[in-house]
Amino acid sequence: MFLRRRRLIATAGLAAASLGLPRIAIGQADQRPSITIAVQQIANSASLEPLREQSNVGQRVFSFLFEPLIMQNLLGKLESVPGVAESWKRIDERTVEFTLRQGVKFHNGDELTADDVVFTFSRERMFGPDYDISSNKTLFTSVLIRDSVQGKNLPPEVPAVAKRLFPALEKVEAIDKYTVRFTNRTPDVTLEGRIGRMGSDIVSRRAYEQAKSWMEWSRAPVSTGPYKVREFVPDQSLMMDAHEDYWGGQPPLKSVRLVVVPEVATRINGLLAGQFDFICDVPPDQIPGIEKNPKFEVLGSTIVNHRLTVFDKNHPRLADPRIRQAFTHAIDRKAIVEALWSDRTRVPAGLQWEFYGPMFVENWTVPPYDPAKARQLLKEANYKGEPIPYRLLSNYYTNQVATAQVLVEMWRQVGLNVPIEMKENWQQIFDGNGQRAVRDWSNSAGFNDPISSIVAQHGPQGQQQQVGEWTNEEMNKLSAAMEVETDMQKRKAMFKRMLEICEREDPAYTVLHQNATFTAKRKDVRWKASPSFAMEFRTVNFATN
Amino acid sequence: MLLFAASRLLRAALTILFVMTFAFVVLRLSGDPALLIMSVDAPPEAIKAFRQAWGLDQPIWDQYLSYIAHAFTGDFGKSMRDGRPAMDLVMERVPATLAITLPALALKIGLGIPAGIYAALHRNSFADRLTMAVSVAGFTMPSFVLALLLVLVFAVNLGWLPASGADSPSHAILPIITLGAAGAAIMARFTRSAMLEVLGQPYIRAASAKGVEWRRVISHHALPNAAIPTVTIIGFMIGSLVAGAVVVESVFAWPGVGRLLVSAVANRDLAVVQAILMVIAAWMVMANFTVDIAYGWLDPRVRGAAAGH
Repeated sequence: MFLRRRRLIATAGLAAASLGLPRIAIGQADQRPSITIAVQQIANSASLEPLREQSNVGQRVFSFLFEPLIMQNLLGKLESVPGVAESWKRIDERTVEFTLRQGVKFHNGDELTADDVVFTFSRERMFGPDYDISSNKTLFTSVLIRDSVQGKNLPPEVPAVAKRLFPALEKVEAIDKYTVRFTNRTPDVTLEGRIGRMGSDIVSRRAYEQAKSWMEWSRAPVSTGPYKVREFVPDQSLMMDAHEDYWGGQPPLKSVRLVVVPEVATRINGLLAGQFDFICDVPPDQIPGIEKNPKFEVLGSTIVNHRLTVFDKNHPRLADPRIRQAFTHAIDRKAIVEALWSDRTRVPAGLQWEFYGPMFVENWTVPPYDPAKARQLLKEANYKGEPIPYRLLSNYYTNQVATAQVLVEMWRQVGLNVPIEMKENWQQIFDGNGQRAVRDWSNSAGFNDPISSIVAQHGPQGQQQQVGEWTNEEMNKLSAAMEVETDMQKRKAMFKRMLEICEREDPAYTVLHQNATFTAKRKDVRWKASPSFAMEFRTVNFATN
Repeated sequence: MLLFAASRLLRAALTILFVMTFAFVVLRLSGDPALLIMSVDAPPEAIKAFRQAWGLDQPIWDQYLSYIAHAFTGDFGKSMRDGRPAMDLVMERVPATLAITLPALALKIGLGIPAGIYAALHRNSFADRLTMAVSVAGFTMPSFVLALLLVLVFAVNLGWLPASGADSPSHAILPIITLGAAGAAIMARFTRSAMLEVLGQPYIRAASAKGVEWRRVISHHALPNAAIPTVTIIGFMIGSLVAGAVVVESVFAWPGVGRLLVSAVANRDLAVVQAILMVIAAWMVMANFTVDIAYGWLDPRVRGAAAGH
């Protein structure tokens, strides 16, 4: 059922000719396929609102439904491309002006205008009526216990996410019907990046206001993406229909159904039995089993997420940076990638990604695997084999336990005594009582600038410093300076210095490998995976033989 | 009989209260839902606000008393993920679970009891050994193994049935067979044992010696007396109708109470987990209560003992 050009033209012609016919005739002319995709989960928060569902799985769903002003090229390297804005320009260090595409239709048929953009970033939608916008310390002035999601009161997660996305957004103004201006309180070169990330998707003001409650809205949000929600049953399924008025051309699929199938074996069996067209979240160890069948293939994509080992420098033995440096040099990262990931991911260049563009620090690497150097550092630090505990969750991350076992053995080889302590939840991992020393984490970049990763996660407001694991005076000064610095050369130099501090001199963490996600499908379906969790199902990326 | 029923009812109420209390305390000690629902990267202020919003920052005693007070009015709290009343979410899933557990129960009884009776009546024959061998296999094989085996054969290789989901009646067949097979095996073994014990009793020999027709000996003397242990097992099975399909629902992506439980536990959706445990406890207690009453009805000695005679 490949939509070849000729058939596409024929279909379009038929559709045009049938405008005057009864609706049933239009349905009969539609030869496009409908597909079913089995996933581990559709949305962790049981909602389809990006301001609440800031997860990897959410990113996948939102690529069907939503569009921001600036999009990422999902078939390229995630570089910025025009979304529902056809162009934008910098007015000054604090201001960006967008020109909207004309004729973009929402799923409800309304035309997208500047008014919808202003509403999308309004206090009402992002913070709720009770939010004290002048306060930088208190995120919420009052939230009603037991009724926090009733009516249009927002769940507490929404203002928290909005605040993280736009910590200093001053105002968004409609200049005319198709022109919008964003003004930040402080100089910010990352404003375009923030406006293009998950959570900045444009929504229909009328649809939002018509919804009876926030929860009702979040189950069937109205945006401009190529597919629209027909029915969402949390933890079970999401049925989407093609958005026929999509500005980017008629979507290639008549409908898409996501179904939640938590068990990997069941997803694989469903694919082999022909029940599913695609299955997502395939663990690396299952790839050879699927590809044994010549009709199927597994597509892997490295994603904008790195796995890390994180240090608590308050631990008596980790206070000496040489011991943390020894940890970083004792890891043969390539061996982990080959053994546990079938060589389908890679060891990245530290906590950065190529889509940073000019901010990407070339020639930077993770600390080299050098057991002799690790032993030397431990000797210099007078390390006598005291236990340095490693708090571990059971496979919260893919291959987490297996990776931990490999790491502990690599560390043992250089003389480090790292006993694993299995924990049940994050609360136990972060518990400050007792010997907190080593743990796992993963870091993503929400947009194409180090502010979204190394500063957000390891800077003064980042989790690692907030839980009291690590701090560094120079890193904190650099973080504050980088937030408002607009000279790209200076910013890049600052970022390089941050990498030197956090990964080499006073290690806060060490990067293990880039994470990857795997999708299995029939070989006769022509489809390209994106280097992210998002799935591209617009006309340019789907065909069957 | 009234006193007997009253004492069982009081015990049932205390059991439910105990389950509510135990679940409440354990869930609050087992991890912070704020970190799971808000994600570990959430700013500390957001975590704090979440805890305030859901009353998690209050002392556990205050939370408990508030929960019990609301529970007595039928309010079991709201889902932290969904925002809807937790009990509504649970009750929505009950019909889906019953749609596979009730036919599975019928399969267990309809297959297990005749097989057990037949094996007992043909003790040590080839049929008896075969029945028991199949029964042991069904009893010992974990349900997820049997489920995957059935999927491989009937969905992947033969393509006769769907591998998972709940879109049509045909989707229910494999889950029902998976649930029913193990239960039928258990039922067959218990029925056989009970029958063999009864068949060795003097009153069976006396009835046979009196010249009562063998078929009548079985139906009027053996079966009623072998019924008590069988009723006990059926009681357990009825008790597990609501929550006995957790693994099978997960493997077959069947949208029942079991899957809701797994997802609610994973997300630390406290109110939903508590509501599910409450429903399971109430159902189990009701099943046991019914079995107790059935004992009293089947065996006058039981109700006599309960009444102090």
